[in-house]
Amino acid sequence: MSSLETTVSPARQSHAAAGRAEPKRRRRGPRRPSGLPWILPAFVFVVGFIYYCIGYTGYISTLNWDGVSPTPQHIGFANYTQAFHDPVFWDTIRHTVIFFVVTFTVQTAIGFSFAALLHSRIKLPNLYKVIIFLPVVLAPATMAPIFRQIFSASGQLNTILSDIGLGSLAHPWLAQSSTALPVIMAITVWQWTGVTFILYFAAMTQIDKEILEAARIDGANGFRVLTRIVWPNVRGTTIALAMLSVIGALKTFDVPYLVTLGGPNYATEFLGTFIYRISIPTAEVGYGAALSILLLILALAGAIAFGVRGMRRN
Amino acid sequence: MFETRRLSSKIILQVLLTIMVLPFLFPLIAMVQESLAGQGWDNYKVVWDTGVVPEFFRNSVIIAAGVIIIVYCLTMLAAYGFSKLHVRFREVYFWMMLVALTLPEVVLLTPLFATATSLGIYNTYAAVILPLAALQIPFAVLLTRNFVNGIPDDLFDAARVDGANAAVIFWRIILPLTRPIAAAIIILTLIGAWNDYLLPLVFLQSPSTQTITLLPSFFVSEFSDDQTKVVAAAVITAIPEIVAYLCLQRLFERGLTAGALK
Repeated sequence: MSSLETTVSPARQSHAAAGRAEPKRRRRGPRRPSGLPWILPAFVFVVGFIYYCIGYTGYISTLNWDGVSPTPQHIGFANYTQAFHDPVFWDTIRHTVIFFVVTFTVQTAIGFSFAALLHSRIKLPNLYKVIIFLPVVLAPATMAPIFRQIFSASGQLNTILSDIGLGSLAHPWLAQSSTALPVIMAITVWQWTGVTFILYFAAMTQIDKEILEAARIDGANGFRVLTRIVWPNVRGTTIALAMLSVIGALKTFDVPYLVTLGGPNYATEFLGTFIYRISIPTAEVGYGAALSILLLILALAGAIAFGVRGMRRN
Repeated sequence: MFETRRLSSKIILQVLLTIMVLPFLFPLIAMVQESLAGQGWDNYKVVWDTGVVPEFFRNSVIIAAGVIIIVYCLTMLAAYGFSKLHVRFREVYFWMMLVALTLPEVVLLTPLFATATSLGIYNTYAAVILPLAALQIPFAVLLTRNFVNGIPDDLFDAARVDGANAAVIFWRIILPLTRPIAAAIIILTLIGAWNDYLLPLVFLQSPSTQTITLLPSFFVSEFSDDQTKVVAAAVITAIPEIVAYLCLQRLFERGLTAGALK
């Protein structure tokens, strides 16, 4: 779940390092035994499972099938053309893009600020850390009932707004298409900013103190130090977090399913909730499988796009 | 990062941080408040008296433990193989596993459903444990492999010269030295398995197998009109997670940053 930076850089470095060390080791010690039996259990378990599931989903995606009928009908790529003509499919893509851009930007801004503030001399740092990080360990399923309550028409948010004299801003937040998606994004930011914060906090501890000191002696103020020195130095973390966010946005299921059920009127439908709805309650298993394959392609493309960027930066 | 020599700037930063942290605290306060609305502590009593809460807990514990055991064993073996032993085309194997990092659970539903039904493991713990473990292993292997890379090769060469075979090296060197990363992996796996919602939702159909993430929905059907009891049930499920986090705070945070720090 943490830094995907590792999927790119250290793996590559270790590869390079291993390549360099290879001949030396052969000359010196006895030849290393084969590692194949050691990696095989994990490899067979994971790869067998994944590729079996992907293959099976790919096969089902060419069927017109309800999941139980003994005689599914082969229909080629019709499920895929159906997806491209389905306005809800394009809605889910649009929601995913908006969701990614907004949650990533807001989480980065808040997480980075928290990390910088907690690296300054602050009283009770651990208390703040605990509060920011606690949502990460709480299951979305556990928090969903209270979020439904907070954002309901008679909920705590509207009560607070009217208490501070902003009663005119009160909304039935979850019942309106225009506010439901922002609420889903706000809940996600609440849930995951702790990860962003922890990773930036860890990255900042690794910045050379002397560089910061030198900048300060040169007269740079706190804000300049942050934008000119700290921000470029944690770029690796930012890219890793962007990659996590893309994959996370495509995987989004729990929060919209539990808080708004994808509604109202598909306003918070994501690929995950859409595939679930099509595959299980609606039982259009073939169509659901085609959507799954499209989702998988998007997730892989997203990971590769950011992975390649990360590699080039390093 | 910010120099705070003057008292005024110290206070400004402290106040700013406090204001920023309030929205993060608010849902938790609202949750406790809501769970005590109406009948007060009786909400908790009613929820507890249904008698299902310990059952849901037991199921979550069994599933999390199963996933952790599988992930730990397979990850340690694979990390040793990938990092310190001779494997031809090892990066190919490695990247084939890493593809799983991008795999959304929802993609697995139909194939797993068909397979679980035909194997007769639908509505059993195994139907959730096995896919969860398969999805968690790749990242665990990634972290552990990086960690094992940091153990000097000379240690392994010396052990081999002394006549230790791979199994002895694994037992005497790898397992003891990987304890810090193992703790991180167990915590990460625990969060993932404990908080998972979709797989239990689809594959566990009776309260005798369902996990605590399904508890709120169970109580929604039980007390349809009484939101306060549903929230009380949610608080009960949140408490162990909060306690576990507070006790093992360092481990949780190290677990999440394990990949970022070299």
